[in-house]
This record gives sequence, C-alpha cells and structure tokens, in this order.
Amino acid sequence: MSMEPQLKNKNILITGASSDIGKSIASELDAIGARLILHASGTKSAAVLTERFGQQHQVIAADFAKPAELSDSFKEILTSTKLDGYINCVGVRSRRPLKLLKPEHTSEIMTINFVSYLEMLRMVTKRGRFNEGLSIVAISSIAAQSGGPGVTAYAASKAAVDAANRCLSKELHGKKIRLNSIICGQVDTSAYKELMASKTEKEDKVLERQFMGLAQPKDIADIALFLLSEKSKFITGSCMYADGGYLT
Amino acid sequence: MTKQEKLNLIEESLELDENTLTEETVLDDLVEYDSMGKLSLIVLSDEDFDKKLTGEQMDEFKTVGDIIKFFEA
Repeated sequence: MSMEPQLKNKNILITGASSDIGKSIASELDAIGARLILHASGTKSAAVLTERFGQQHQVIAADFAKPAELSDSFKEILTSTKLDGYINCVGVRSRRPLKLLKPEHTSEIMTINFVSYLEMLRMVTKRGRFNEGLSIVAISSIAAQSGGPGVTAYAASKAAVDAANRCLSKELHGKKIRLNSIICGQVDTSAYKELMASKTEKEDKVLERQFMGLAQPKDIADIALFLLSEKSKFITGSCMYADGGYLT
Repeated sequence: MTKQEKLNLIEESLELDENTLTEETVLDDLVEYDSMGKLSLIVLSDEDFDKKLTGEQMDEFKTVGDIIKFFEA
C-alpha cells in the first residue's frame, strides 16, 4: 500500500518528534516528501532535529510542561502554515506506587501528556489553520486500556487523550477533522530500555502477553502514516491497536 | 542527614513501622521489599538523594546498609 500520493507536499506537525517513535515518523514522512514542522520539548533535542531535518523542515522548541506558553511558541508557525496532519508523540513516563502519587507529580504527568495535547488541539483546529481533511493522531498506550501496578498517572493521562479524541471526533466532524489514537504495546525505544533498566526482573512480563514481540518504531510509524493519509478517511475516534497481540 | 533519618526514610518507603530496620536487616527477609517496594526506593533515591537507581544495582543490595551506602556514595 503506497502512501506517497496522499502525503507528498502535505504539511504535517509532529510534537515530540525527538522521541524514537516521533523520529521514525519524521523520517518516513520526510522520505515521501511531506513538509514537516517538528517539535521537541528542549532546546538540545530541538538542535538534534535541526541537524537531521533542518534543511528541509521547520523545527520548534516548546516545553509541554508549560501549556500556557505553547500558544506564543506555535502562533507564528501555525498562522503561516495550513496543516494537513498533526501527530502527537509526547509522552512522559511515570512509575510510582499510589503512596508516592503526590498531587504535584500527577499534575505534571497530566499536564505534559494531556493538558498540553488539548492545548495543541485548540490551536491547530482554529479556523483558517488547516486544510480540509485534517487528520490528528495521538500516540497512546496499552496502559490506558489495561493498566498495571505503578503506572496509574501515565495510564490515566493516556486514557484522557483517548477519551478526548473520541469526544472531539464527534465535535469536530463538521470541520472535516478526524482524530485517532494508536494504542502502542512495548516499542523498542530508548525510553523502553530505560524502563527495563530500572526494573529488577530481567524479562519483560508484558512481552509474555505481547506475543508478537517488541515493536520497532517503524511499525508504529507505518500505522501513523496510514491514519494521516486519506486511505483512512472513514476512520475517526478510534483506538487502533498496535499491541502485538497484548490486548487480544 | 543522619543514618537514622535515612533508615526512617527507607522504612517509610517500604511501609514499615518506625525503627524496625537496622543496617544489618537482610532485604530478602522483608516481604515489603517487593516490586512496589523497590519502585518506592527508586523514587526515594531519585527525589531525596538525586541518584538514579537501576534494577541491576538493586539486585546487588543484600542488606539495608547497602542501600544506605548507595545513597551516601
């Protein structure tokens, strides 16, 4: 299935583009000639994106921990570029038992993973800022659906994203905007390696249920490109499973 | 921070009564030193001692004193 006719020269915004999944999506879109706006939360990771993609694409740094500042950071770029697609790959992990889920920590996770995503949607879907058929994709997680000990804040933040996508798929249908989530299982990223290093069990128990094994970032990127393209024009408000069988 | 204060922090993380741990306490003898207990110690190490604690390092801990030595290193 070729995605090229659909996404060539299309304007796509990727937030969290310096994550392994974000970078993979950016590489795939770059290869087929899409025009990208790539966001990273820190100036250092933005500099890495500039080095890799800066010749052809725009790079922007903005802190998702500060949703009130996002409007100023993105205003210029969003008023001068009409978007065809927006994909959010920002997702900060949280692993702590309930007794350590203090309000400041939970608020921080919810802010970065959910509040700022919603703030981006407010900006991106303003009149005049997008072309007909705008497709929005959020990277979500099996944690949002099945949960697990110690991941309450992370799972809740991703479930909030999925719920928002469902509501907004109905609310924004009149504007011909689609929103979908990709429910990722374990993906072979640096965040995953870090997670495994912090655990005492050497084997990842999730992989016993995720019987197709660890996903590669490109596996997720392929689905993201499908959801961004017109090939998926009849799909909205959905949670697409990219879980290697985990939730089956 | 005194050794006793560190012991008390570990007791709090593992949901043990105050002054139940000594440096000689063997971790394998504590039912509270389970996966959530270990996760609590990782957070404690990060937040109160600014030290990243990995699973591999935790495997090497035999006694409560080993944890305190890691915090102090």
